[in-house]
Amino acid sequence: MEKANRLRQGMAVLLCISLSAGPAAAQRAPAPLAPEVRKAFDDALRKSYNDLFEEAPRLEFSQAQIEAMREILENRQKNCTAEFRRRAEDHAKDLRKEQESLRAATARIDDAERKQRHCRIQNLRALESQARVLAEHAIPVAYENRKAKLELIEKWPEELKKVREEIAAGRHVNRKWGDVKDIGFRELVPDQEKDIKIGQETVREMKMAGLMPPEVDNPVVKKYVTNLAQRVAKHSDMRVPLNITVLNSKEVNAFALPGGFLFIQRGLLEAAENEAQLAGVIAHEIAHVTGRHGHRLMKRATISSIIYQAAQVAALILTGGAATIGTYYALQYGFYGLGLVLSLDLLGVSREMELEADQLGVQYAWNAGFDPNGFIHFFDKMATREGYVNGLSWFRTHPPFYARMVQSKREIMYLPPREGLVVNSTEFDEMKRELKKVTEQAEQEEKDRPSLLAPVQGCPAPEKIEFKPGDPIEKLCPEPAAASSGRR
Amino acid sequence: MSGTRRRFLRQALGALPLLPWARAQTLGRRSLYFTVEEGDRLVTGLGEGQFRVYEDGQPVPFRLLEPEKPVLMTVLAEYSQASGLYLNDILVAARELMDAAPEGNWYSLATYSQELQIVRDFTRMKGEILASFQELGQPFWGEVNTYDAVFEILEKLEFLPGRKVIALIGSGLNTLSRQTMGDVQRKAEAAELNIFVLGAGTLLRGQYEPYMDAMSRMNLLQAEAFLNMLAKKTGGQAFFPRFETAYRDIARTVFTMLDSQYRLEYESRAKPDRRFHRLRVEAWDPRDEKKRYTVRVREGWRWS
Repeated sequence: MEKANRLRQGMAVLLCISLSAGPAAAQRAPAPLAPEVRKAFDDALRKSYNDLFEEAPRLEFSQAQIEAMREILENRQKNCTAEFRRRAEDHAKDLRKEQESLRAATARIDDAERKQRHCRIQNLRALESQARVLAEHAIPVAYENRKAKLELIEKWPEELKKVREEIAAGRHVNRKWGDVKDIGFRELVPDQEKDIKIGQETVREMKMAGLMPPEVDNPVVKKYVTNLAQRVAKHSDMRVPLNITVLNSKEVNAFALPGGFLFIQRGLLEAAENEAQLAGVIAHEIAHVTGRHGHRLMKRATISSIIYQAAQVAALILTGGAATIGTYYALQYGFYGLGLVLSLDLLGVSREMELEADQLGVQYAWNAGFDPNGFIHFFDKMATREGYVNGLSWFRTHPPFYARMVQSKREIMYLPPREGLVVNSTEFDEMKRELKKVTEQAEQEEKDRPSLLAPVQGCPAPEKIEFKPGDPIEKLCPEPAAASSGRR
Repeated sequence: MSGTRRRFLRQALGALPLLPWARAQTLGRRSLYFTVEEGDRLVTGLGEGQFRVYEDGQPVPFRLLEPEKPVLMTVLAEYSQASGLYLNDILVAARELMDAAPEGNWYSLATYSQELQIVRDFTRMKGEILASFQELGQPFWGEVNTYDAVFEILEKLEFLPGRKVIALIGSGLNTLSRQTMGDVQRKAEAAELNIFVLGAGTLLRGQYEPYMDAMSRMNLLQAEAFLNMLAKKTGGQAFFPRFETAYRDIARTVFTMLDSQYRLEYESRAKPDRRFHRLRVEAWDPRDEKKRYTVRVREGWRWS
């Protein structure tokens, strides 16, 4: 009797567990998808945005398949991130253990033993930091990019139909900022000139803080970038003088501060393949100035009721994510008790501003005579190279989400046709040649940079997780074979 | 082993010549950075003719050279749970130092508690030093192994060429170091660099010292003596401000001193031994040879 009771209790517990875990487990498990469909998806998602804009209307995936693939991507991201977070935690635990053990033994071990322990600590530190970078940056960026492409496959065919209909009906000219023939004569936001003072002060502050990389000291490069930016500015809605600075930093980044202060980093010039791409990015940054996004951010940030500090907040958000500068200001706020470490989501305005800057940027590049597709090409090239996260600051706050790509593509389609749009020029090629010298010099300087971090003498080189820019993310987290079973 | 026997053994070992592979400096060329002072004023613009250099009491020929650029400055800051009461001093000192730091130099940041940690390797963007400092979380360890940290950073800098400076921000207190004060002193004497000290916790010390027991007071005295020794041995200077606000002036003074330093080079006649070789530099007013200036220069040197 007692035995039967126990058995009954056991069965009840099992039933409870299976009832509570069942649906959740079913939710977590990747939805089944036929291997050939999954492969077709994987192939498509590795393509560039531009190719997908062309091919998406011809792809024949059902809504259920798209949903299943989205779930698969979500799961892959979750598992891959979790795996590398776990690895980082494991390394951190081992590191602490090793340090504790060293601390306990420090007075009685000899030099050889100490060196061995130092080597182990050095190796664990390297492994931990690599795993964290992958978990927190490389993996999320790669999967966000895949998901944006999946959304493109899902929504673009319908969107394309609408765009064509709107163009056919002539309704597209009624869109916001659709008066592209009046660029330079329309007023987006009044009082642009009021931003100059705040911009000047922010630049001064950034220089004083010692966070500004040195300027590129090459007249050809400087002259070319200045001319190009001035040409775009002249064909934009800009009403303030443009101040251009080319910074000698390998980061692929550009940022504009309120009042027309534009900073282009060397890495961006290196990454741009042609003039249209560079003009597209510059036009996007100029659009932040003409849209007075800095000023608008400041208005949102009046909770701080300190205008000057608000200016710096705006600078942080519109710097295009110059990481060091951003980190610095964020920390400053945290540190000095303002407590206003603003995130883009918190303000809820950055996304809207990025979309506006994309739209206006495409218009300005086009109006200045450059192929506006250059912007998408550049975005595409950078975003498609998964794992290419080191130094890609511009993409930290300019994420490649679906709406941005579509907004830019749609705007390009709406623009009146124009002949002879510039894709490249001999001046661009000459600038590239000069830039090579600047890069070589900077690389040499980097090589000669003094370092305190020379590995402990006699230790083997720290282990490295094999993952290079451009590698597909699957290289880090191979898909388990079991997950590909099932059909839909 | 008795103290006398230990001293004897040390002296005997000290008299032995070094093995050739044990010497970092195979050449006897010595480079000195120093300032010339008249009271509180730094004297600049003196020519080679206004100097005389003595090594072990003997005059030596020398050349006055342009100071090397850029300067490699390592900010070495105490950062331990034990520093909690004066951690603010350390943070203020680091901030003022970086605010006063000129562009163009290389700056790095290392902190220490139980062990030395290189927080930021050399960078030309001084703002990154402060940003890295502010990113540090709560100190993990309770120890303050100052001697080990100074020893290790000296060892790391030893292999780097150029003009090197350590800005040490800390109390000088030491808990469980493997290295002794003597080890660090010998290392500092062998290192070709200047150490500037921005003492932390001096105000606190002033407040609590009357209530401390003799041993604690002795520890504090030893801490200050250690920091003074580092500055003196390397031709730098130690500052012990009683108020936070003084760090700004101290930071500016450090960089003004670096800016006003002279550099001279000479071929040493000293044999490669373990002895300490005394140095003396004399400087005088070009208009009045009898008017001697004070020269802030390292006390001497030894083979590393």
